[in-house]
Amino acid sequence: MSGAYLELRNLRKEFGDFVAINNISLRIQKGEFITFLGPSGSGKSTTLYAIAGFIEPNAGDVLLNGRSLVRVSPNHRDIGMVFQRYTLFPHLTVAENIAFPLRVRRRPKAEIEAKVKEMLDLVHLTPMRDRKPAQLSGGQQQRVALARALAYDPQILLMDEPLSALDKKLREDIQAEIERIHLETGVTIIYVTHDQEEALRLSDRIVLFNHGGIEQVGTGEDLYDHPVSTFTAGFIGNSNLIDVHLQSGFPHLPDGTKLYNYQPNREGAKRLMLRPEDLFLAKEGIPVQITGRTYLGDVIAYMVRTGWGQELSVRTQRQDSNLQAYVGDTVCVGFNHEKAYIIPE
Amino acid sequence: MLLDFSQLGWWRIALCAVAGVAVVFLLAPLCLLIALSFDSSQWLQFPPPGWTLQWYREVLADPNWLNSFLTSVELGIVVTLASVFLGLLAGFALARGNFPGREMLRGFFLTPMIMPSIVLGIALYATFLRLHLAGTFLGFVLAHLVLALPFSIVAITSALEQTDKSLEDAAMLCGASLWEARVRVILPAIRHGIFSAAIFSFLTSWDEVVVAIFMASPGLQTLPVRMLGEVRQNLSPDIAVVSSLLVLGTILLMGLTALFNKDSKR
Repeated sequence: MSGAYLELRNLRKEFGDFVAINNISLRIQKGEFITFLGPSGSGKSTTLYAIAGFIEPNAGDVLLNGRSLVRVSPNHRDIGMVFQRYTLFPHLTVAENIAFPLRVRRRPKAEIEAKVKEMLDLVHLTPMRDRKPAQLSGGQQQRVALARALAYDPQILLMDEPLSALDKKLREDIQAEIERIHLETGVTIIYVTHDQEEALRLSDRIVLFNHGGIEQVGTGEDLYDHPVSTFTAGFIGNSNLIDVHLQSGFPHLPDGTKLYNYQPNREGAKRLMLRPEDLFLAKEGIPVQITGRTYLGDVIAYMVRTGWGQELSVRTQRQDSNLQAYVGDTVCVGFNHEKAYIIPE
Repeated sequence: MLLDFSQLGWWRIALCAVAGVAVVFLLAPLCLLIALSFDSSQWLQFPPPGWTLQWYREVLADPNWLNSFLTSVELGIVVTLASVFLGLLAGFALARGNFPGREMLRGFFLTPMIMPSIVLGIALYATFLRLHLAGTFLGFVLAHLVLALPFSIVAITSALEQTDKSLEDAAMLCGASLWEARVRVILPAIRHGIFSAAIFSFLTSWDEVVVAIFMASPGLQTLPVRMLGEVRQNLSPDIAVVSSLLVLGTILLMGLTALFNKDSKR
């Protein structure tokens, strides 16, 4: 059958009573940049460590190129990994660290030398080749770790929150570098993070984890625009969730307003998602009172309270806001009814 | 700060005086001993009537002292090697292993540190008599190993616990087998711990006298055992000379340690 490159089949891992991975199945294509996103304890790191071979699953299978990895020990899996903590070998120089996996594989000296040079070039650290890890900054150390993990052309590259110890500016620089390296090498990457912005920025597809299971898989746009659950809607970006009642296919807000957004074959209580940037202040719409106003330069963020007592978040572009409103004012909030998205769960 | 040195005023002088007295109290006997080793009087007279190197010549020419010295060195080296090797095995088990009774085992390994050495000496002697190990070099090694091992295990286990396990994982993903990862990556990373383990093990064996008395035979005596015997039989300047040489050796060893630590900080 047309090939998933890496496939997880009904993977399960329990630690005592705690189910860390709950029957996960996933197919990843060659060359994809996949992010495992989720809150801490959601099973994303455990799944990554199961792929690396440091955690033995209780059930299920991990297949790479159609071959099961479960009985293969980590040193024979041909997988590269960059860890959350700095894991450069402290007694070796930058060049020796990068050469380590090749030396272990007893590659010829000339080949090792050429590969080290190529890798240093790739991560732009050629001038640092003879430094010890302790003499490098955190960002440089993670770039060397990346070079070391790629030196043996692994079949897949795993990254476990590699940037979480770095500050924001540095993180963005290295994110750009990771994107470039993914493009240049074409390596398949699985990247674990709890930072949704990082996930949206880097990945081809995001796998959202929750309570040891997969909540949703899709592109960043899929997850942002069409979340399958309130969990996804809440985890990716900010959202206003309004309880609506569907009558003959039309959602009704709690105050009875009918939305002209026909939902075939759906009845009863549902949840409506409206992103703050989909809402705007208007002359007509849902009547609200402004309870908060924050000027953020390019946008103005409002908190408003509806007639049924729910707080909504509204973000308007500064130049769009022809209507000026301040705390205490009574205005209306409008939105394009077609943008109103009913969460399917 | 309550005890900030610059805020103490006149108390500073008192503090310095107390510190000075403490230093003198600790070092004076050693200085006296070194002075006595150059004393021209045979009866350890003080202050010395004159100075001489005669006792040094005598001690260095005496094959008995040399033999005890070599016995102590050999014993120390063998004990150190065995202690570091076993300490590594135990350290990996305690720091990386996950098995029931691990904490109990950790406590058990430390018992020789708190056990009175006289009790240990008697117990080992009684056991080794039965096993025909009493008075043999092997018996000596085993006895001192019991005393040295706790220091080695403590030093190596704590070094391993301070070393991130991800380092081992990273080496394995690079293609190294578990033991290859440990030998090529973890051992260099914990070299300080190994060095302390070696120094402590050697020193434990080197100046141990209680258990050594039980293990010694007329033909197999460590330096401290011979020194004790010598002091009890005839108080001669030889003792002062040997002691002074030991002090010198200790200073050199400490210097070596400081050098190693300074070097590896880079």
